[in-house]
Amino acid sequence: MKIAAWLRERAAIGDTKAPMLEGGASFAYVFGKVLVFLLLVEGLTGAALAAFYSPSTTDAWASVAYIQDQSAMGWLVRGVHHHGGGAIVIIAGLHLMQTALAGAYKKPRELVWWLGVLLLLVTIVWAVTGYVLRWDQEGYWANRVEIGIAAETPLIGGAIKSAALGGNDYGNLTLTRFYALHVIVLPAIVFLLTVVHIRLAKAHGVTPVGTKAAAPRWPDQGLRDALAMLVVTVLLLGHVVYNHGVGLTAPADPAESFDARPLWYFRWLYELRELSGSAEKIVALIAPGIVGGFLVMLPMLDKGPAREPRTRKLWLGALAGLFAAIGGLTVMSFRRDSSDDELAKRMEVAEALASKARALAQANGVPVTGALDVYLSSPHAKARAIFAQKCAGCHVDDKERKAPLIIAGHGDRAWIEAFLLDPSGDLFWGRTKLAKDSKKAQELEASKPAPAPDAGSGSAKPDDKKPDDKKPEGPADLAMKPVDFKKGSAELAAIVEYMYALSGATDVDKAKAETGKSIFDSTCNDCHTVVEGANGGSGPNLAGMNGREYYFSFISNPKSNVHMTADMSGMPRFDRELTFAERGLVADYLVFLRTATPAQAAGN
Amino acid sequence: MGDDPDRRKFLKVATCALGGGAGLVIAAPVVRLVLDPASKQTVTSPKDPLDAGDASRFVLGAPPTRVEIVAPVVQDAWTSARDVVLGAAWVRRIGKAPKELDVRSAICPHLGCAIGYDEAKNNYLCPCHDSRFALDGAAQTGPSQRGMDTLPIDVVDGRLKVTWVLYKLGQTKMEPA
Repeated sequence: MKIAAWLRERAAIGDTKAPMLEGGASFAYVFGKVLVFLLLVEGLTGAALAAFYSPSTTDAWASVAYIQDQSAMGWLVRGVHHHGGGAIVIIAGLHLMQTALAGAYKKPRELVWWLGVLLLLVTIVWAVTGYVLRWDQEGYWANRVEIGIAAETPLIGGAIKSAALGGNDYGNLTLTRFYALHVIVLPAIVFLLTVVHIRLAKAHGVTPVGTKAAAPRWPDQGLRDALAMLVVTVLLLGHVVYNHGVGLTAPADPAESFDARPLWYFRWLYELRELSGSAEKIVALIAPGIVGGFLVMLPMLDKGPAREPRTRKLWLGALAGLFAAIGGLTVMSFRRDSSDDELAKRMEVAEALASKARALAQANGVPVTGALDVYLSSPHAKARAIFAQKCAGCHVDDKERKAPLIIAGHGDRAWIEAFLLDPSGDLFWGRTKLAKDSKKAQELEASKPAPAPDAGSGSAKPDDKKPDDKKPEGPADLAMKPVDFKKGSAELAAIVEYMYALSGATDVDKAKAETGKSIFDSTCNDCHTVVEGANGGSGPNLAGMNGREYYFSFISNPKSNVHMTADMSGMPRFDRELTFAERGLVADYLVFLRTATPAQAAGN
Repeated sequence: MGDDPDRRKFLKVATCALGGGAGLVIAAPVVRLVLDPASKQTVTSPKDPLDAGDASRFVLGAPPTRVEIVAPVVQDAWTSARDVVLGAAWVRRIGKAPKELDVRSAICPHLGCAIGYDEAKNNYLCPCHDSRFALDGAAQTGPSQRGMDTLPIDVVDGRLKVTWVLYKLGQTKMEPA
């Protein structure tokens, strides 16, 4: 106490007596204090987050992902900051209701009420400016919608939009502006408004809710305030820990749509827009106007000195109705989403993308070129994307596939052996025109005396087309026949080794391959050549088979006479569809597949 | 509420404990988060030898050559950048064998400025505090307490490989920072 007295003297503060509370202390008065406490919590957690956050389009998401996934307690601090904002809206709502119930907006406290309403509005705008900073799909698309709504404001809409975005489109200036608003401008405004709000409230004293004897604020009310703060803290922390903070979706991608939803306290407005169909623009402007207008007008509407709630049924009822409507719409909005199976599926996809991006960011860091390039930080990422788009339909998808299967292990020894033993098998030419024609030709050949011998695969799908029985000539049998060597024989192993060596693989048994070459020269040479650039015989040139250059050339034009020729290949040429670099990437990827595990092939 | 002083005092202590507790559970993780980077290697720097070009371009008797040491990948907190210049080294050939190269960090052992080559006097000079070093790296005049720091090197297939090391500054002994 000596220190307190010393300080009081130095600060020229007299011996102040604790102010008294008329009607005694009450839990009804805790909300204001809890709000101040939560604002301090936001300031503290916000300062810590600002020490990590980088407001630029290339870095913002990466820095938030770093906070969330790679720094000690980052997820917790970020979670408290996010949900603390939500807690402020809830407590502010309770504060407002308590004030209304007590009739505390009445003369002479109108200014306190209006400042409170203004504070609520500013706080909500404050939260909006924070939501976009994470620059993930969720925050980015929600902001696009919010700014879109603001831009519908008559006359000044366009100006609001370009001022908020810092120009014509989303970019670095959008983030720096929202950041400045969020951490400097709005905190300063809220601080000033709060100071005035509290000054005025203190000056007027409480509107008594109790009938007990007057009690000192400190410590009687203080204990209740502290207890409330602790309860709110426990609830907030519990919520944050239970949800592991707050989510972070994939990096903002203007090309990838997202089911953007606003922060929960805008859900009622969101639902109202959904319900009003073509009138949504008007509704979006009018509804907040009605709510705000009503709150501002309340002290003028509910006039007279009566504070007893029973005597103010009309206006309290109207306020309760308003809150009930907002609550009802909010529930409807969440229900609508939870019953939407399609939405759930889309969210699942978005979720998977987010985990992938965050795992990659954690493993490799985010390229300085921007958060979206994080997807390219895994090996062969770009090639995989091209492959998935251009090749997988025919070469991977089990239902749609009409070409040889290309998956991990493509072109390794096991693959070569399986191919040689059954080239027209389902995994190889089985589903192509080449094998089907071959089968038809064989059937035609053997149609009279006996049923067609099995071409080897047995799993080739029956042809839909009518048999060309009227025409004298059927399709030509151009497909390769299985090799004559038995599985497990030394000859087969040798020729497999030789074919494997053609790819340029380095782990080759040279002696074995040499043996294989002599077998090749005596048995395969009729149809195939390995002389670079030469046209094949009746079969493709196998020079460099399953190596990078071979793949590149094959992808560019499979119908080339060096490769399959137009007669045998149904595959389109890609030299016009894919750039030189893209074909190179795919060729690299195919080489990579030879030694890749299925997980590596999928980029995991 | 009674006016019993003991009760009043208990209320005050309880209030401070509750309020302080609420504040503390929020403040503790905040402090932990802010201190987190201080105990981490947030900027990675490759420990492996880095390619510094063809070793045969350094000729016996020629003035020292300034070579930039470039890391293929540097991860800096959340970003990863390619081809990042870590610093520079002065390279001088001292013998005919491929590996006979004198490679010294351009970071001044005094306070970390960048050492330059003084063509007129054919020795090294740090511009910040005028520390002068002989061609063999030995400290001559000025405040530097030791000669220029050597960097570990190797020559593989004719390419100079330099391992980038940062040393402690302002002391006589050369030891990694």
